Amino acid sequence: MTSRSQNTSYIAVPDKRGNAKVSRETISAVSVAVLCVVILLGSRFISPSLGSWSQVETVLTLGSFLVVLSFGQGLVILSGGLDLSLPALITLGGVLSTAWVGAGNPDALFLLPLVLVGCGLVGSFTAVGVVWLKVPPFIMSMATSIMVASATLGMTNGTTRGAAPELLTDLMKSQIAGVPASILLLLAFVFFGWVLQARSVFGRHVYAVGTNDQAARIAGIPVTLTQFLPYVISAVCAGFVGMMLVGYSNGATLRMGDNYLLPSIAAVVIGGSSILGGRGTFLGTVGGAILLTTLGTVISAIGLNFGLRTIIEGSIILIALLVLRDEFFERLRAFRRP
Amino acid sequence: MSKAGVVHPKPSMKSVLLRGSFIIMALYIALYVVYVVQQPRALGAGAIASLFNNTVPLALASAGQAIVVLSRGFDLSLAGVVSITNVVMAVYPLEGPGGALASLAICLAIGAVVGAVNGWLVAYLRIQAIAATLATMIVCQGVALLILDAPGGTVAEWVSYELTDRIFNFIPVSGLILGAVVCLWLLARKTDFGIALYAIGADEHAARLSGIPVLKVRFFAFVLAGMIYGLAGYMLSAQTATGSPTAGEPLLMLSFAAVALGGTSLSGGKGGLFASVMGAATLMLLQKVLFSSGVSSFYTGIFQGAVLIIAVMFSALLTRLGERKNK
Repeated sequence: MTSRSQNTSYIAVPDKRGNAKVSRETISAVSVAVLCVVILLGSRFISPSLGSWSQVETVLTLGSFLVVLSFGQGLVILSGGLDLSLPALITLGGVLSTAWVGAGNPDALFLLPLVLVGCGLVGSFTAVGVVWLKVPPFIMSMATSIMVASATLGMTNGTTRGAAPELLTDLMKSQIAGVPASILLLLAFVFFGWVLQARSVFGRHVYAVGTNDQAARIAGIPVTLTQFLPYVISAVCAGFVGMMLVGYSNGATLRMGDNYLLPSIAAVVIGGSSILGGRGTFLGTVGGAILLTTLGTVISAIGLNFGLRTIIEGSIILIALLVLRDEFFERLRAFRRP
Repeated sequence: MSKAGVVHPKPSMKSVLLRGSFIIMALYIALYVVYVVQQPRALGAGAIASLFNNTVPLALASAGQAIVVLSRGFDLSLAGVVSITNVVMAVYPLEGPGGALASLAICLAIGAVVGAVNGWLVAYLRIQAIAATLATMIVCQGVALLILDAPGGTVAEWVSYELTDRIFNFIPVSGLILGAVVCLWLLARKTDFGIALYAIGADEHAARLSGIPVLKVRFFAFVLAGMIYGLAGYMLSAQTATGSPTAGEPLLMLSFAAVALGGTSLSGGKGGLFASVMGAATLMLLQKVLFSSGVSSFYTGIFQGAVLIIAVMFSALLTRLGERKNK
């Protein structure tokens, strides 16, 4: 092992860049998508009620929460950080839109965006700590999470009141031309996210800063702003997920965000991003999120007990990680061109 | 592999004082003074022992986490190992001192197996540590749920009484066990393994070039950490005397907070196990101080978060000052 890594750095390597026309990100995004379809179709063998169109609709609706959330998480990870404050912000967004805005409020159209602005302010608090005070992202976002969760608990005195504003239930429950509005929302969001991350100047800057912030600074990229904004975007996304969840289940609970933190990281990593930043695509993350949701719904439909379900879920994440390793892709390429 | 000819520069007084462990010790003592002023009973042997009993599970968990963090890794499987050992202790109680020893061996073995899987995935298969341990944590949680699907069961009486008791009516047993782990670490960090651990965390490539078996050291860092989590689960069971399939979850985030509070760099290579143990102790003491100051338990999180941010900033500032003075 030692000798190999030593040798390669001194011997001139033939230029093989032309061989890799298909980037590893594309391969992993495609293989994740294929895996989803295989799991959904394969689940038909277990029970004929599975694998139907209505199940696809369920998966996409449930998956939309994770997609929106892991867009923010993915952007923060891409910039070289990590955001652990998402669960607290989901809860904050949910609780504010039921307890403060509430059902039947004529000003909902104006107040709901205000809730998102509030979430964005919390995100900029995290960003200030990370970017200017140089607190490690892991610690800073965890501290934000603890503080926001505790403030939410104190605000509500431990019980949540109110119901979902009609605007949110319409968003999640209504149909437009036979297609659930939530799926249209998902598609619009994926397009918007893809443009922002892969096609905009800001997106390019985030890649550059995540790869090497020193080099990015020398290249004249506004590093501070580029590190700052992902936390704000991520917080707004989390607040919006809180609203989507409220619209879906018509109520908020103080623990509604708890089960979303680890999946948001898992979706990003399974989608082929590096946890250290600078590498990864949003479409890969979308695939990761949909894959996790597909697994969750199929496994829970099989009717195993909760422990076994959890074990299977963990093992499949592990298998996905093993399959999507760097070395695996290198071997694949070597195989194509002996 | 001999380490002949390694000369350690004698640290100056200032750099010793500015090290993470001293800062966190000072913070702990300051908090303790506040606590004693509020609650004069806190100096009694019983109160000290109960403080130790509360602190030890988190302190051990943070100690294990610190070993992995030093080698520039993250270990989320902590939550899984503590949960599994806790439900095993509650579902299969073994009575008497012999039973307690057997249980301890089982807990350590569980931790070692999970740690070995983590080490294999991270060191040899090169999966990112945070992702690999996330997967093993989920699997472990599933196993814990299979063993016990809802909170319940009782831990062996001998374990829950003797291990939370005091020797000579003064020295808390849990404190002794924690002390033993810290002492073992102070010995281990002087060995080839300990030095290699710091070297890998500081610069993996340089460590590999200087002949350190990077993969093996990283593997054993996870195994060792896993065994300490096993011990943490054992002590947690002694304290709670009952089992819960999610017992380990509250410890996970707090263990990272404790490691960071102790001034251990999350990017590896700097810090130590003792400082992380003190970080854990500070977090637990802070809860008690806030409670005895009459802060509504709803709002304790705001103080915890603020202390975390300020302490990490402060220790980073002091470390930077110390480095500048030494140059």
